[in-house]
Formats: sequence, C-alpha cells, structure tokens
Amino acid sequence: MDNVIETSGLVKNYRRRPALRGIDLLVPRGVVCGYLGPNGAGKTTTIRILVGLIRPSAGSAAVFGLDVVRRREEAQRHVGYLPGEFVGYPDLTGGQYLNFLGRLRGGVDAALVRRLAERLDLDLTTRIGALSHGNRQKVGIVQAFMHRPDLLVLDEPTAGLDPLAQREFLALVREARDEGRTVFLSSHVLSEVEAVAERVAILRQGQLLVVESVDKLKARALRRMELTFEAEPPIAHLRTVPGVREAVADGSTVHLVIEGSVADLLEAAAPHRVARVVTHEPDLEEIFVTYYEREA
Amino acid sequence: MLATVYLKSLRDQRRALIGWSIGLVLLVLLESVMWPSMRDMPDLTSLLNSYPEPMQKLFDLEDFSSGRGFFNVELFSMVLPLLFIIFAVGRGARLIAGEEEAGTLDVLLVTPVSPARLVVAQAAALATALAGFGAVLWTAGMACSAAFGLGLGAVDLAQATLAMVLLGLEFGWLALAVGAVTGRRAYALAVPAVGAVAAYLLYVAGQLVDGVRSWQPLSPFQQALAGGPLGSGWRPEYLWMPLVAVLVVALAVPLFDRRDIAAAR
Repeated sequence: MDNVIETSGLVKNYRRRPALRGIDLLVPRGVVCGYLGPNGAGKTTTIRILVGLIRPSAGSAAVFGLDVVRRREEAQRHVGYLPGEFVGYPDLTGGQYLNFLGRLRGGVDAALVRRLAERLDLDLTTRIGALSHGNRQKVGIVQAFMHRPDLLVLDEPTAGLDPLAQREFLALVREARDEGRTVFLSSHVLSEVEAVAERVAILRQGQLLVVESVDKLKARALRRMELTFEAEPPIAHLRTVPGVREAVADGSTVHLVIEGSVADLLEAAAPHRVARVVTHEPDLEEIFVTYYEREA
Repeated sequence: MLATVYLKSLRDQRRALIGWSIGLVLLVLLESVMWPSMRDMPDLTSLLNSYPEPMQKLFDLEDFSSGRGFFNVELFSMVLPLLFIIFAVGRGARLIAGEEEAGTLDVLLVTPVSPARLVVAQAAALATALAGFGAVLWTAGMACSAAFGLGLGAVDLAQATLAMVLLGLEFGWLALAVGAVTGRRAYALAVPAVGAVAAYLLYVAGQLVDGVRSWQPLSPFQQALAGGPLGSGWRPEYLWMPLVAVLVVALAVPLFDRRDIAAAR
C-alpha cells in the first residue's frame, strides 16, 4: 500500500467517444505529482474517477487501496478535492460555505480555516457570489486543504490566481508534501507544476505518454531560443554545438531549437558578441514533440 | 444553521417559501372578501342551475351556496392544487439537478454525504417546506373564515390542506427524482408538468365521460379532490400520493448513486 493512487487499465468512454484509453498510473505516498496534458486530453476525466464522481468504463482505480467505485465513501474520506470549475453557493459567504462543508466532514479546525484564508488573502465575510474569479478559486483551495486530507486532488488549481496567491498556494502544496501527504494536481502548463512537482505524468488523447521526474523531463525538453548578434551570426559554428537541433538565421538573429542545457551554446556564441537573448520556456507541445520524435 | 444538507436546503427555500406564502394569503383573502356578497346574491341558485350540466358536475356547483362549497369551487378544485404543484416542482427540480447544473454538487458529493443521503435529505427538506406552505394555507383559511363568516371547520380545512400538501409532494418528489436520475433541470420540470396535466385531464374526463370514469381513481387529482376536498373526510385514497412519491424517490436513489455526475459548464 505504498501507492496512494493506483489505476490499472483505466478506460472511460463518453457515449462512443473514448476519453481515457487505458491509464496505468502509480503515485507513491508523500509525492507531488503533476498531471499534464493539453485541454481535452482526459485530465479532468481521470480526476473525476479518482474522487468518485464518475465511474470508469473499464479498468480500476484505487485511493489508499480503496476501490473508488466499490468503496467510494471510504476512499472519499481521504481526499481533498478541488474541481476544475469550482463553484460555491453564491448566496453564502466564504466563511458560511466552509463552515457548512466542515460540518458535513464532521468538523474541521476553525483556526486552520482562518489561517488558510489569511495566507491566501481571502475575505471570508464576503458572499461568494460577490467575489472575483480568483477569490472564488481561493475558497475552493481552502475547502480542499481545510480537513487536512491525506491526498489532495486538485484540477487546475492555479487557474485565475494572482501571482501572490499562486506562490502561497505552491507553499501550501510543499508543506502538505513535507507532512507526508500526497498531492495530485493537473495543469496544461508545465511551468505551473515544475516548481512543486517532483514527478510528472503527461497525458495525450486519453493515453499516458510518459511518467517522469521533472528534472529529466526538462533536461530532455526542446527549448526555443533567439540570439541576436552585433555582427554576422556564426551560423555554421552554432550548428555544430552539441544539443542544437536546429539553427536558422534571419538577418543578425538566429532562431535555435536546443535540447537540454544551453551552457554549451552560450559558450560558443559569447565570443561573437551577443546583443540580445530571448528564450522560450519549453511548453507542453514542444515536450510532446520531443517524445514523438523519440518514439518514431 | 448550516449543520446538515437538510438544514441548508431549508435555508435555501426560505425566501421562496415566504414569497409564495404571501401570494397564497392574498389569494385566500381575496376570495374570502368576495364571499359575503356572493352569499347574499338573491338568485344565485337559479343562476348556477342555468349553467351547462358538465360544468356543474366538474366544479360541484350545487354546493356553491355554502362557504365550504364556495372554497371548494374557487380555490381547492384548481387554483390551490396548481399552486402547490408548481411550488413543489419548481423547488424539487432545483434540489439536485439545479445543483448539478450550477456545479456545486461536485464538492458536496466528495464529502461523507453519499448520493442516497443527499436525495433523502433534499426530499425531507421539500416535504418540510410543503408542510410549512400547508400550515400557511390552513392558518389563512381559518382566519378568513372567522373574519368573513365562511363557517369552515378546522378539521375540514386540515383535511383539504393535507390533500394539497400531498398532491404537491407527489409531483415535487417526482421532480427531485427525475433531476437526480437525469441531472437536468429541464427534464425535472418537464416530466412532472406533463404528468400533472395528464393527471388533471384524466380527472376532468372521468368527471364528464362515463367510459373514462373507471380510470379516474388513478389520477392524483381524483385522489386529492374527490368529494371536496373540503368536507370529504379523511380519505384512504390520500395514501396513494405519498406512496407513489416514496416509490419514485426510492427508484431514483440507486440510479443516481451509479450515474456519472456532470462537470460544471
């Protein structure tokens, strides 16, 4: 029972359309796992199965060894869940809403709720209907964390959060992990999860593409970069640098695609007087491309 | 105040209940105000006798000259059943389908509250609200009867009020059940609405057409309204309405328990 989340051959079809085509996923205890994929890849479907809101068409999923279909209520007791589209009761204040959910869960520590709200800078006396999108999302985050669940299942948790709240949220995730709790969070942007997740599962069209540590993933990722030189760009020289997959000159600017570290490239380019460097964080699409190329 | 789903649901209904109750009281008051002048109309009986016979039958016009008969015709044969059903169906459709469409159901179901418990709590809350609505009707009826000399009996009025509450309960719980099974408020409104119209047509046709009369007892309107409802006594036929209501909810629970909950749009 070292795996907090365990799915095997998880399949979900909506009418005829397959949403998940056999997901085998293991998430060990005390780990932050990012669940990445473009919109429509099946992230939310997986998450809704894990928390017991929908049933798999085939295969199985278990949380703490508890099957999420047959022992749903028991499994749910371990889970703090933030839906992808969190909606609270608009006529209740944040405080009333959290108190209501707390009562349903058999009572939660009121001081912890207050502390969470303070850290996220959330006013608990305002009606949820009058809150901005970002502040509503904070209510959703507090309700997921407030009963100190062993497993946090968070669907696009940072959506709509301002940078300060985002940073505080990531701190909460780290603290939960340090306490030995497990966090499973989805996102369609790598940069959002790479700060906290040690492990990433990438999903595409209902299939797991890869489960990998973040470091390895980033090392392998293709990164786009633009170098602008003060003089004629040394294009031929740059093409010979290890890791450079592509180099195209456009006037004094060179557009590059690099795999892994850029140290060698910068060393090679520096003597030629670089005027401007623009780097693009590797996005998911590019990581996918990396993997496709490798598979091919 | 917000310790359980049941209490939360009651709280959600308080505004609607207050609004509907004000309308209900005004309606009873308005009808009652008309009663003294109606009673004192010299040729009322001969006027009513000149109405076509089917109409006399349908609305029990022979009894129109007593306060009880007047209320039966003016309120209990059509307006009040409609009011109770619309109130109950409107609320019932919101309780689960409404929450699911709004997206608030997601978090609620990932708590120790199971789908079955949720349905039971919401059904109980709707029954409580309807009972409250019934209490308002009874109180307003008794007060108006005393003020305008309608001469209604407390037990008589309680029986007729019970008929209204049970009629509302049957269609309201049907709305709750359809909402739980489909997750769609539109269906939760449409199915009971169609059911109520069909039941009313069956009731009316049974009144007027001999061939349909044997089917008439199947209609909840016949079960609730036959012989009154004011002055019809405690009729065992009343029991059909809660029985069907319980059955419908009991059927919905396992279906709701097993189906996928739709994500918020």
